[in-house]
Amino acid sequence: MATLTLRGVTRSFQRRTGAGVKQSFAALGPLDIQIGEGEFVALIGPSGCGKSTVLRLLAGLDEPTAGEVQINGQPPRELQAQHTLGIAFQEHALLPWRTVVGNLRLPFEVANLAASDERIIELVTLAGLTGFEHARPAELSGGMRQRVAIARALALRPKLLLLDEPFGALDAVTRRRMNFELERIWLESRPTTLMITHSVEEAVLLADRILVFTERPGRVRIDTAVPFARPRPAALMRTAEFHRLADELTASLGPA
Amino acid sequence: MKVRSLGYTVVGSVLLMCAWEIAGRGGVLGRTFPALSQVLDVFAQGPRRALLLRSSAATLGSAALGYATGMCLGIAVAVLAHLVPLLRGGLDRMAVLVNALPVIAIAPVLIITAGREGTPAALAAIPVFFLLYTSTGAGLRGASRRLELVLTTLGASRWQRLRKLQAVAAVPSMLSGMKIAAGSAMIGAIVGEWFGAPSGLGVVVLNSMQNFQMPLLWATVIVIAAITLAAYAVLTLGERLARRRIGTCDG
Repeated sequence: MATLTLRGVTRSFQRRTGAGVKQSFAALGPLDIQIGEGEFVALIGPSGCGKSTVLRLLAGLDEPTAGEVQINGQPPRELQAQHTLGIAFQEHALLPWRTVVGNLRLPFEVANLAASDERIIELVTLAGLTGFEHARPAELSGGMRQRVAIARALALRPKLLLLDEPFGALDAVTRRRMNFELERIWLESRPTTLMITHSVEEAVLLADRILVFTERPGRVRIDTAVPFARPRPAALMRTAEFHRLADELTASLGPA
Repeated sequence: MKVRSLGYTVVGSVLLMCAWEIAGRGGVLGRTFPALSQVLDVFAQGPRRALLLRSSAATLGSAALGYATGMCLGIAVAVLAHLVPLLRGGLDRMAVLVNALPVIAIAPVLIITAGREGTPAALAAIPVFFLLYTSTGAGLRGASRRLELVLTTLGASRWQRLRKLQAVAAVPSMLSGMKIAAGSAMIGAIVGEWFGAPSGLGVVVLNSMQNFQMPLLWATVIVIAAITLAAYAVLTLGERLARRRIGTCDG
């Protein structure tokens, strides 16, 4: 498992402002965030506030303009090389020519590890796709595909799990069901997790802690703990405490 | 629906052939336009048939050699350009330049370097190289961006990303290139044979034109069209199968 540290992190991009003039604009930060081992953190905020940039920085897909990003005291690229990061995106992230099992084997192949049949069966079960082992992504529903993507992200028991709007492309009913599925899957190994979402309810339902970002350049506006015990039942969503927290966060996302 | 469109094809072809026959017999389009029956009669003559078979074998051999060489080089250079981005700009320009050279201008150079026998294959290889270079490059770059990010995050090397993702994603585009390249290779081989090759369909075309053997000239053209169409049909089928097997990244 992993602890995350972001110290004085900023990220700015070059933007062309016509006539070949380039201007730098700040997309993010400065950010100072500490995330503890095994914590499930949800990141919410207005569109374009740099949430995805944070995720890309932690995945080692991007470098901060200033400041430091560390996972267990190491730069993310190190963890990449050790195959200890897991990531899942909104959609379209399975190899379309491979079956469910083929897609689940991918992380093992990348890490040059033998994928034992037991582990693959375990992952198929975890994704709730027993009987669909040899189906190709085109034959699965959107929810099933996302469960494969998340199981794949967890295949190598990563120290850090990164989820970018994992259920953003699903309909409301499937999305709610997937929320509970994700908690069940997550509880099996409890990796440190950062999930980006647009849904406040999803964040309250799943996270131990919620960070609300400001408009661009994104900074932490609210950092709040979610007090509910796990596993969280569906009935939790009907309690006054759940609604109070969700309403508070929704209000904070509105115009300041 | 399918039967109906097939019906239209048959009816259209028959009408076209009738028109050809009538126009040829009537001499409406001049003496260089023989009737279809006269052209088909060429295939019934033993020596002529043997000549066309022999020439087809020679041209097919040159076209196939050029096709294979151009394809291997095109794919290899495209992969190199993909793996070493620093080289890409230069290689792109080189490929465009090679393709833009007029055949008439480079044929003398090829005759000196590749010889008269080798020129057809060399002229077949050039367009194939260009088509496979561009289609492979586009296919490799066209792999899903999300999947690239997933693989990078999982710690995949550049080489692993190429093998597990980009190379497979590029196959349909490469097959599209191969499909078009088949015709180009035939054209290249035939034109190459005009520069003094010992045998081949290009030689028959040239000789029958100069000796005013119009039925033979037209029969040769039909053979060339048939070979090109057959190659195109086979590769179209291959492309369709590959696309179905590989699927789209939206799946």
